[in-house]
Amino acid sequence: MTTASPVRWLARRLLLAVLVVFGSATAAFLAMELTPGDPVRTLLGTTPQTAEATERIRHDLGFDRPLLVRYGLFLGRLVTGDLGTSYQLQEPVRSLVTGQLWSTVTLALAAFTLALAGALVLAVLTAGGRRLPRRIAGFFDLLTISAPAFWIGVLLLTVFSFRLRLFPAAGGTGLSGLVLPAVTLALSMVGTLSQVLREAMERSLEEPFALSAKARGTGLLGLRLRHALRHGLIPLVTLSGWTLGALLSGAVVIETVFSRPGLGRVLATAITSRDLPVVTGVVVVSAAAFALITVAVDALYRIIDPRLREVGT
Amino acid sequence: MTDRLPVPIGSRGEGPAMTAAKSETAVQDAATGARERTGAVSPDRRAPSRGGTRPAARRAVPRLPGAGTVIASLVLAVVAVAAVWPELLALRAPDQVDPVHALQGPDGAHPFGTDQLGRDVFSRVVHGARLTITLGLGSVVVAVVAGTLLGLLAVAGGRVLDEVVMRVTDVLMAFPGLLLALLVVAVLGPGTTNAMIAIGAASAPGFARLVRGQALVVRESGYVQAAVVLGLPRFSVFLRHVVPNSLPPVLVFATVHTGSAIIAGSSLSFLGLGPQAPAPEWGAMLSEGRDYVDLSWGLGVFPGLAVTATVVAINVVGTRLRRRFEGRTTHGEH
Amino acid sequence: MALLALLLTATTSGCAGALDTPRSRGNVLTYGIDQQPDCLDPQVSPLDVTALVDRNLFDSLVEMAPDGHFRPWLAERWSVSADGRTYTFRVRDGVTFHDGTPFTAHAVKATLDHAVDPRTKSQYAASLISSYRSSRVVDASTVVVRLSRPDSAFLQALSTAYLGIQSPTSLRENTGNLCTEPVGSGPFRLTGWARNRSLEMERNPDYRWAPPGARHSGPAHLDGLVVQFITEGTARFGALATGQVDAIGNVPPAKIGALKASGQLRHLRAESPGVPNTVFLNTRSGPLADERVRKALLRSVDLDQLVDTLYFGRYSRAWGALTPTTPYYSASVEGRAPYDPDEAARLLDAAGWTGRDSRGIRVKDGRPLALRWPYIQEVHGKMSALAQGMQAQAKQVGIDLRWTSVDAGAFIQKTDSGRGLEMFSASFVRAEPDILRYWFGSRMTIANGGGNVFHLDDPVLDRALADGAAASDPQARAAAYARAQQRLVDRALALPTYVPVSLVGTSDRVHGLRFEPNAYPLFYDVRLGDPR
Repeated sequence: MTTASPVRWLARRLLLAVLVVFGSATAAFLAMELTPGDPVRTLLGTTPQTAEATERIRHDLGFDRPLLVRYGLFLGRLVTGDLGTSYQLQEPVRSLVTGQLWSTVTLALAAFTLALAGALVLAVLTAGGRRLPRRIAGFFDLLTISAPAFWIGVLLLTVFSFRLRLFPAAGGTGLSGLVLPAVTLALSMVGTLSQVLREAMERSLEEPFALSAKARGTGLLGLRLRHALRHGLIPLVTLSGWTLGALLSGAVVIETVFSRPGLGRVLATAITSRDLPVVTGVVVVSAAAFALITVAVDALYRIIDPRLREVGT
Repeated sequence: MTDRLPVPIGSRGEGPAMTAAKSETAVQDAATGARERTGAVSPDRRAPSRGGTRPAARRAVPRLPGAGTVIASLVLAVVAVAAVWPELLALRAPDQVDPVHALQGPDGAHPFGTDQLGRDVFSRVVHGARLTITLGLGSVVVAVVAGTLLGLLAVAGGRVLDEVVMRVTDVLMAFPGLLLALLVVAVLGPGTTNAMIAIGAASAPGFARLVRGQALVVRESGYVQAAVVLGLPRFSVFLRHVVPNSLPPVLVFATVHTGSAIIAGSSLSFLGLGPQAPAPEWGAMLSEGRDYVDLSWGLGVFPGLAVTATVVAINVVGTRLRRRFEGRTTHGEH
Repeated sequence: MALLALLLTATTSGCAGALDTPRSRGNVLTYGIDQQPDCLDPQVSPLDVTALVDRNLFDSLVEMAPDGHFRPWLAERWSVSADGRTYTFRVRDGVTFHDGTPFTAHAVKATLDHAVDPRTKSQYAASLISSYRSSRVVDASTVVVRLSRPDSAFLQALSTAYLGIQSPTSLRENTGNLCTEPVGSGPFRLTGWARNRSLEMERNPDYRWAPPGARHSGPAHLDGLVVQFITEGTARFGALATGQVDAIGNVPPAKIGALKASGQLRHLRAESPGVPNTVFLNTRSGPLADERVRKALLRSVDLDQLVDTLYFGRYSRAWGALTPTTPYYSASVEGRAPYDPDEAARLLDAAGWTGRDSRGIRVKDGRPLALRWPYIQEVHGKMSALAQGMQAQAKQVGIDLRWTSVDAGAFIQKTDSGRGLEMFSASFVRAEPDILRYWFGSRMTIANGGGNVFHLDDPVLDRALADGAAASDPQARAAAYARAQQRLVDRALALPTYVPVSLVGTSDRVHGLRFEPNAYPLFYDVRLGDPR
């Protein structure tokens, strides 16, 4: 694979993104089809039903049609942007997803900002510096990487919500309700970001230009800010896929711990109640977001780092 | 939940993550993405972005002192004893209820306090080690086996099969690991074995790509080419040279990956999808105990501490292993 | 592009949300609840939360008084024919629905017909009026309802929110949207419903037809009512403690201590009527088909101790298949199957379960004494601690309770067929002893729309339940239902565990909150005032 023209590169990547979305939708559809148990009975809940009523609902929902027909109908609706109607909530999945999206996006943006800021501060203060601060920061990284998010959440909730009463224990509205979930999610990511950033900064501090700047008498902090930081940010961009995944996965756990509304919790509930349209809806939307953002980041990356275009693979 | 690999979809080596290749300590997943890529290109092509001036030896200086590794090993030893022979450490049976003494704070009789049924939290944490470790290690085994088979299949099966396997892993990897695991659990139902399979399946694509990349490098290397030129059967060359030489980095990565697999397993349990009550799995214990943390603080602290200490220890030891391994291969290349 | 636009709107709405402060709520009460409704058409949903919400949106024909009598509400008066099969209702004048439609006898017929219409897919209301045959509108204020059999529970059924009267215009023209756009005549009307988040209602300014039990007449005191969905008990309590909500339902019993200590919060408590939290037993096949094993199981668990500890003294243990606040409850069942592990062991020995395996579980003919007890996390998760306690105690006498989480589909498959399980848990709120027939009547199998999963067929019990349903004389009903309750205990046909309690926590600004007979809170009389 030598260097392709940017247009062809982009076309190929977009095609792949479509494939990913399509594949995720198919996987989600199959997953739900493969799940043992009768979906119609599941939908009716634990209240006993007559066989007649069950069959009527089965027909109304189209569950008595062949698998391939249902798959075809599903894809057809998907292409037109119709994600179907939730069995449990009797509401279009699209409005359900858009209604919950902002809550998760707010959480993710806040957490990402916090994590990035924390990682920048940690790395700028310690990269290539003295042994003790580096070690402390390194241990902090290790600790936040190794502590499960749900535990951090429970601890923060106990201390700041129940003991000190500084933040509400529940509720998605308002800034005060966002603080603890966002901090929890940020803590689960900051270690990884700060490690990668520091590594890259330390590598660039050994480059000839950095060494010569140092020889000219530039202070270490200035060196880090002026030269190393820029180089450090590049590998961070490549972590965008991991970051997005961590944010979305983290949302499932953190929205559960803090009883916060959002896509993650909708998905978790929908999976346990076998609400197929909601599951496929959330899966397709997040896969699409995932694919698009990754393409955008890769494109951005090719622009800022021309070496890649020369090297190719 | 950090068990997803930071590989931009479809970017087999064309992505830029090589710079992250040598990130130290436990950036397990970041490291995988990078290793997978470095593996996918041949060593001489890798040179430009490696930066010639960078002294590899200095990179390998461990951030954590020897003491850290010693402590980590001790922690792992204690966890291993608890997992293999919990009766040695536990004070009583993990499911022995004693309603009269429910929700008592830590004291002499109950070092970690008691839960809402009067069960001894310390004994439950000790007995939980086996469940949590089994879940984590089991899912890594599933991921390694499935990933290796898939990766070797891609290399051995020709262009079309390779393309198919890579596209499938693209799709799977375009999706956050926990969500993928949730989907699998939704199909299989909750439980220890199913959670293990789910997490394993969710991380298998990463392993598949790593194996594939390694196998391609090995296949292109001089001695394998020589063997082929000498007329040895391709299949036998594949089995005797390519396969064994592709595996060491996989095992190293598996060690590093174990930490995040344990976190993933506990998270599934926390969501109620792992081992079932009254099993004292650490994540499940926290989920059950969090409503009572204001009455008995031990319930919210010790099970989480156990997960964290175990994962820290695994990450420290795993990183050490990886660095030794990388030091060796780096040395060998030059 | 679309995604970017979404991200932008998301951030701006996030900022707007940040400006909301709890104090800007004005005269609107916010109530935190753990469940959210699936559908607000009262004739469709079986959920408790639907009754709680719909009570504010819909009025019923009759009101049930605390003493179990029925009083006029939308029905001014009524008469029952001598054979108990014909009810003639004279309905009230001057009532209008939220959509402006006047309330007449036609609305009653439309609502009852809607409840039993197969297309409604009623999950509960239809079974409440299973005796319903037809309605005939005589004139705008008179409707005659025909039943297929005498049904002494019919008025109670009509008094529930599940048979709240809907606007006939809405039933006719709004068929597809009845779940989301309910139109009744209640003191509040629905203004918004954000899934997974909250449900908003505003005062109906024209309301002048409150039932006799209400403390005032005219429109509700509150300008509005917001129901917020907060699943987690701890989080819900936290929302109350920090003033985000004014009141919450289902206060976790563990938090009552903290609630009392705060000084600014109060709690109200009402025991739910109906069937307590009960473990239904497979009397047809497996080890529990043997009455001695059932009796041993009942005596192997120390429910007094477990319920007291796990619910912090707020719940009491249940002795019989009805709770004490249910009409015609018989106290004669109390103390009949006390914790007695020695007696349990003796019974099991007598039943031939004499061997032991390596875990100490009893064995007979090479098979362990294992009782499969599947549960659904979302439904039964809250009683998991109790189940684990029972599991540990039953193990002491050699019984292996397999309390296992399954998904809803698998659970329903098992309960539908009555196979692959020995026990399952349920409770059921209804202020009417006829509910026993739903669970234990030989004809009320799942296939017939009942809850008799294990096809229990006990002629003595059947006769007592039929007598109770047919009798109109209170003394005859009491005698019949006492016989039924005793029979259930005598033969150990079920394992009642605890009496569910409606625990409502409020801030000290909330005045006038009380419970209706089904132990759901009523908001019509509530006033938000100064702390007292």
